[in-house]
Formats: sequence, C-alpha cells, structure tokens
Amino acid sequence: MASVLWFQGGACSGNTMSFLNADEPNVVDLITDFGLDLLWHPSLGLELGDNAQRLFNDCATGKKPLDIFVYEGTVMNGPNGSGRYDMFAARPMKDWVTALAAQAGVVVAIGDCASWGGIPATAPNPTDSTGLQFHKRERGGFLGANFRSKIGLPVINVPGCPAHPDWITQIIVALATGRAGDIALDELHRPQTFFKTFTQTGCTRVQYFEYKQATTSFGDGTRKGCLFYEFGCRGPMTHSPCNRILWNRQSSKTRAGMPCTGCTEPEYPFFDLAPGTVFKTQKVSGVIPQEVPEGTDHLTYMAHAAAARIAAPQWSKEDMFVV
Amino acid sequence: MTAVDLFVSPLGRVEGDLDVRVTIENGVVTSAWTEAAMFRGFEIILQGKDPQAGLIVTPRICGICGGSHLYKSCYALDVAWRTHVPPNATRIRNIAQACETLQSIPRYFYALFAIDLTNKNYARSSMYDEAVRRFAPYVGTSYGPGVVMSGKPVEVYAIFGGQWPHSSFMVPGGVMCAPTLSDVTRSIAILEHWRDNWLEKYWLGCSVDRWLANKSWDDVLAWVDENESQHDSDCGFFIRYCMDVGLDKYGQGVGNYFATGTYLHPDLYENPTIEGRNAALINRSGIYVNGEYSEFDQARVAEDVTHSFYEGTRPLHPFEGETRPIDPEVGRKQGKYSFAKSPRYDIPGLGYIPLEAGPLARRIAAAGPGAASHQDNDPLFLDMVQRIGPSVMVRQLARMHEAPKYYKWARQWLNEIDLKESFYDKPVERAEGKGFGATEAARGALADWIVISGGKIANYQVVTPTAWNIGPRDSRETLGPIEQALVGSPIVDQEDPVELGHVARSFDSCLVCTVHAYDGKGRELSKFVINGAV
Repeated sequence: MASVLWFQGGACSGNTMSFLNADEPNVVDLITDFGLDLLWHPSLGLELGDNAQRLFNDCATGKKPLDIFVYEGTVMNGPNGSGRYDMFAARPMKDWVTALAAQAGVVVAIGDCASWGGIPATAPNPTDSTGLQFHKRERGGFLGANFRSKIGLPVINVPGCPAHPDWITQIIVALATGRAGDIALDELHRPQTFFKTFTQTGCTRVQYFEYKQATTSFGDGTRKGCLFYEFGCRGPMTHSPCNRILWNRQSSKTRAGMPCTGCTEPEYPFFDLAPGTVFKTQKVSGVIPQEVPEGTDHLTYMAHAAAARIAAPQWSKEDMFVV
Repeated sequence: MTAVDLFVSPLGRVEGDLDVRVTIENGVVTSAWTEAAMFRGFEIILQGKDPQAGLIVTPRICGICGGSHLYKSCYALDVAWRTHVPPNATRIRNIAQACETLQSIPRYFYALFAIDLTNKNYARSSMYDEAVRRFAPYVGTSYGPGVVMSGKPVEVYAIFGGQWPHSSFMVPGGVMCAPTLSDVTRSIAILEHWRDNWLEKYWLGCSVDRWLANKSWDDVLAWVDENESQHDSDCGFFIRYCMDVGLDKYGQGVGNYFATGTYLHPDLYENPTIEGRNAALINRSGIYVNGEYSEFDQARVAEDVTHSFYEGTRPLHPFEGETRPIDPEVGRKQGKYSFAKSPRYDIPGLGYIPLEAGPLARRIAAAGPGAASHQDNDPLFLDMVQRIGPSVMVRQLARMHEAPKYYKWARQWLNEIDLKESFYDKPVERAEGKGFGATEAARGALADWIVISGGKIANYQVVTPTAWNIGPRDSRETLGPIEQALVGSPIVDQEDPVELGHVARSFDSCLVCTVHAYDGKGRELSKFVINGAV
C-alpha cells in the first residue's frame, strides 16, 4: 500500500478537479482497488482519527513513511521571501514543502504551477511564485537543480493547465505498482510516455496542416483548416498527448476549434500575455510564422510550405467537420 | 495560529486557505472571523496585458468554476468591444456554463458536504447508520456513483470547449467551435445518461418534472411521503435527516441576498450592454434586502478593504478598484485579518451592506416580481424562507434544486442549436473601452470589470461569490455573510462543534476551511478542518 499526501500551494484546484474526472481508474477505484493510502488531500474528506497537523509533522520528520508527495500549485516566496502569501497549518507552505520533499520516496508536481510556476509566476510575478524544481525553463525552482527524492528521482513533472486525469492517475498507479523504474523522464522531468509526442500528434486538423491550409475565422470558420497559421496554435511546438488521450473522453481543444496555448511547456502563458499575443500567430514580415514546428527552420519551412500549397488537393480547401 | 488547548476533529485539524475563528459562550457562537490565508495576485498580473488575457487567466482563479470565469470574462469583453454575439453562440455558452454547474452539484454534495453527515455526533439519530451507508467517503453506496457521475456533464463541456477544466473557447463575438450533428446528439445522450443514472435514480427517486412541480414547502413535504421511491431517494433521505438532526434550524445568515443572474437569452442579448443585461437574463438577477426586492445594478457594488490585507482607505467600485497587497504580519497590526476583500452593495438608506451570494440567493431572485415570459419564475424557495427560514438545509436544497432545472434548460438549448447558422461574428478589437460581465458560478454571483486603454488592460477586477460570502468585516465593523451565519449557531459539543462545519460548508466557498473555536476568554477550545474545493 503506497501512502500519498497531496498538498496545494498557490493553486486553483484545477488539477484536483481534473483528477476527479478520471476513469480507469476513477478516484474511488484508486482508493479501493489499488489500495492507495491517501493520507490527506485538501478536497477529499477523509476522517483522520488523529491530529492532522501531527500527521504532517510525522511525515515531515520521517516518523511516518511517505511514499508519494503530490504537490499542486506554485511555491510562494513572497512577500519579501517570507512565504506569508500562502500560510498553511501554522507555517508558510514553502516550509512544509522543504520538509516533506526531503522525506518523500517520490515527489510529483501536478500541473504547471507546481512544475514551473505557471500563471501565478507570469510577470510581474506578484507573489514571487516558482515551481518545485524549475522556474519556467530554468533549472532550480524551489528545491534546487540537484534535488533527488529518497528513491533517487528528481521531481516528476506532470505539467498542463490542468494536467489530464490520466497523466495523473497512470503515474500514481505506476508508482503504486512498483513501476517507478519504467518512468523515463525528458530533460524537463516530464514522463516521456506522455510528453514525447506533440499536441499535434493525432490532431484531426493535421491534414490541413500538411497542405498549409489555414482556418481564417473562429466559429463556423473552424469547420476547416489548421489553427497554426492565424490563431497562434502551438500544437506543432508543444509536447503533450492531448490528441492521443482525449479530454473528458470526448475531445481536445484543437479538435473543438481552440488553438493550443502550449500549456504543458514551461513558458506558458507564452509572451507573458503581452498585447497582441493572445490567440494570434506571431509573424515575421507579416506572413511567416515567427515560430515554426520543432526541429525545422524558416528556410526549410518556407520551401516545404510552398511545395505543400502547390500539392494541396481541393478537399483541403473545403469544410471537413460538417453538419 | 495560537497554541491549542484541545483538538477535536471530525475531519482533520489544520489551517487551510480559509481559517474561521469563532467565540463560543454558553453553548452558542457569539462572534466569528473568516480569514482567507492565500493571495495569488491575478488582478495584478492582468494589468498591461492583452485585452483577451482574462479569457486565459481568470478561469485559473478557480479550477471548479473556471467555465464560469470564462463566461463572464467573455461578456465583459463583449460589452467593452461592443460585439455582436450570434444566438447560437449564446446557446453554446449557456450549455457550457450549465454543464459546469451540473458537474459541481453532485461533486460538491457527496465529496464535500455529505460526508459531514456521517459525523459521529449524529450517532444518536435513528437514521445515522443509513447516512453512513450512503455517504461514507469512497465506500458509501451513493458516494461512489455521485462522485464518478459528476464527471459526465463536463464531457458535454469538452465536446464544445475541448476540455474541462480550463478551456478558453468563448471569445468576444461568439465561440470558437462549430458543432457537428454528432456533437449535439452525443451531448444529448450524455445528459440523458446522467439524468437516468444519477439525477433521477439516486437523487430524486422520481422524474425531473415531478420534482419541479413542487412550488411550496408543503409540496416538498408531501413529495417526501408520496411514495417509497421519493422517501428513500438521497433527496428524500436528506430532507428527513436534516429535520431529524436539526440542520433546518441554524445557519440563517444575513437574510439579504444578491444574484447577478446568468444564462442570457439567445435572441435578447445579441449586442451585449450593461443596461440591457438584466432584462435579457433567463436565470434572473436581483437584490432582496429586508424582504424588499430591487433591481441589481453593478454601479452599486464596492469593495471594502478595512480588514483585508490590502492598502486602501475607502470602498471602491471595481472600475476604480485597486489590488495592493501588504504583508499579513504588517496588516494584522492594523486590524486586518484576511486576503479576501469585503464586497458590499449600496442600498439607499442603508449604505453599503453585505449580501449573501449563492444558489439560495438565485432562488430568491427567481421568485421576485415582474418576470418576463422568458425568465425563470419559481416561488419555491421564497416560500421555504418565509415558512421555515433560511438554514443549512434550505441552502443545500436550493443548490440541489438547480440540477433538474439546469438539466432541462441545457437540453432545451441543445435542441435550439441551428447547425447551419453562425457561431461567431468577428469583432472590432477596440483600443479603448470598459466592460462588465457576470454570471452565476455554482456557488454564486461572479463578475468582472475590465478597463481597456491603449489596446491593453488598464484595470481588471474580479469579484467572486466566495469573496461576497467569506469576506471579513467592513469599515462599519459589520460582519460578512458567513461570519454572520455562524453567530447564533448552537454548539452541542464544544469539543466537536460539527455545527460550524455545516454552516461554513453550506456556502460552498471555494476554500479549504479551518474552524477554530474559542471560549469567551480567548482560549482555543478546538480546531478542525473542513475540506473544500479551493
């Protein structure tokens, strides 16, 4: 039986809400079938029998073994390094994080905030927020680049705003069933089983992308085209399985006509939401996308695009997602 | 907090994001303080940003009502940019907003509220064993189905918005999606499945229409005894259990209510304005103070920071609102005790007063005079409040009453979608403008005020239902709604004051909440945690 303690720092609870949407296993299965010993979670009421603060202290001092420490939300350092913008159980949350991370078998950051600071860390970062082991793309974060948990792993980052319930539950099940060794991480400490592929992998608009055919309007305009050219879709530059493992078992943002905002990457929200950057592709000379798909360059991209447009069949200029 | 003499807890005992301190004298709560213990600074982040940044940032204020944040932030931009919103887009926005609330109703009830009903203090009730059998965490016969089925309505949200939580698919001028035939048919099938397998099977024990035929408290009592299925449904059981253990007797609150209303009529709000909003609402707005109804006017809202950890000297309307946080250690020396501001509403002759937001406030607004033919006109909860007074039970029933109601509306809007008509009308992105947008999140009135200047956000203020309800005292030392609701609560067992948990929880504030009980001499008696949804 794996013991789990789930804390929320500078969080909106979105990852918890996402987690509660889980199926196979759903949250009840996770407890009853996988014998997860959920010591405490802020939204899931469990009778504790004993003093919760003592429980936290026992976990923090190593008296009670803590297998998995799940953290949702940023670590807040403000104001002035005190951490008092986020008080929890009589002390700044950041002090709990220091103590619990040192004792946990594995530390899992759920969501962007815990992974790299997310929206609260957007300029001007009024709460001096940061992620557990990254600050945006920079290594370090709150725990430092060299942090390793008791079983020798860095913080496992399960980013996303929010993370998909499967990304959360499958990692917990992997840890709970002794498969920690199978969790291969990328350079941003994300499990590769989920984050090697691109958001674009499996996107229903990928044939429009292949022939460089743009969606030119929201609403009925999204019956055709790819959102990359005009609406700032980051699907080709973002690593996630959003179009492999569908959201709420139904769809994904890009399928529904919403551009990917790149929320599994450390820079999210991109360009710090500066004027002119929201839902708009940033362009060079007014036509060429400033950012091109990962691994290519502007020259190659333009040559490929020109050829693709010539090759574009008539159907690629017409509505596909019709009534 | 301070040293603790005694811990007794039904749930756990730590401070969360919301600390509630109460003084208990002679078995009754005599005063209360609600202290929000976290600050995230979203309004500061939004300053100077792209006008549409609120569509991305504000949903992240709250993961359980992010769709509501999106809904109102989009309308604030529609007003500021003077857009045209096609009726189809309004229908999709309404469906999405309704489905988020339909998710919240069972999730909140079983995962957060009903587990308190299994508190050992109720073991004296002859119905206690049945309460435990149904509502015990994870293993309760209703807990599992209720929590798991709560994920179904947001599958419909994902069909139109791509995902839930945290889509930003509503944009000024409409929505990003253009549904196909199967998107609509699948959505209908999901809602029917949810109605069959949770709403009617577990909660009501009868058809949606049978429940909605209840127009008075007498009707509800008759409904409970009408047949075995209704009597033994979770709703029938809940009503009987509340009356058995006394949840119909306390948690009255300020007795004055505030609803911004929601669900714009698709044909009546194609050109969103502040002035045209009230008349276009389906779920009405309204103010109910000392038994008198008045029309909601956003100009009468102000936020007081006298006891909040912010700089500021007087109540400010949100268009002029400021968010300048100060270190709680410094603030406490100035008598401040919460990161929540204190929203207040200006009533002629009374000045700025606290009002309760939430499902009960919406239900009171729905019973007001002057409903147009397209507006909800439902006398049930005004009758209940007049007959038996507001209480923990009445507040809960108001929330649950919205499940059948919103289900029916969502089905109707799905039927009305015209797949061949437009879902978006591209707006002019104006460099200057002011906008107000509002909705009703599951837990109450939610509104944004945006000022756009020079093509970027000059000011952005969000006033949440949680702030309306958990906000601290104001400059006149008037208590906030939850503070007021706690006062007068009878405490049977000072060492395990579960009554306080019920009162605080019945507001469904988006915060993990800790209650600290003190005696008249300032000694801490006990402390326990009410788990929340942040």
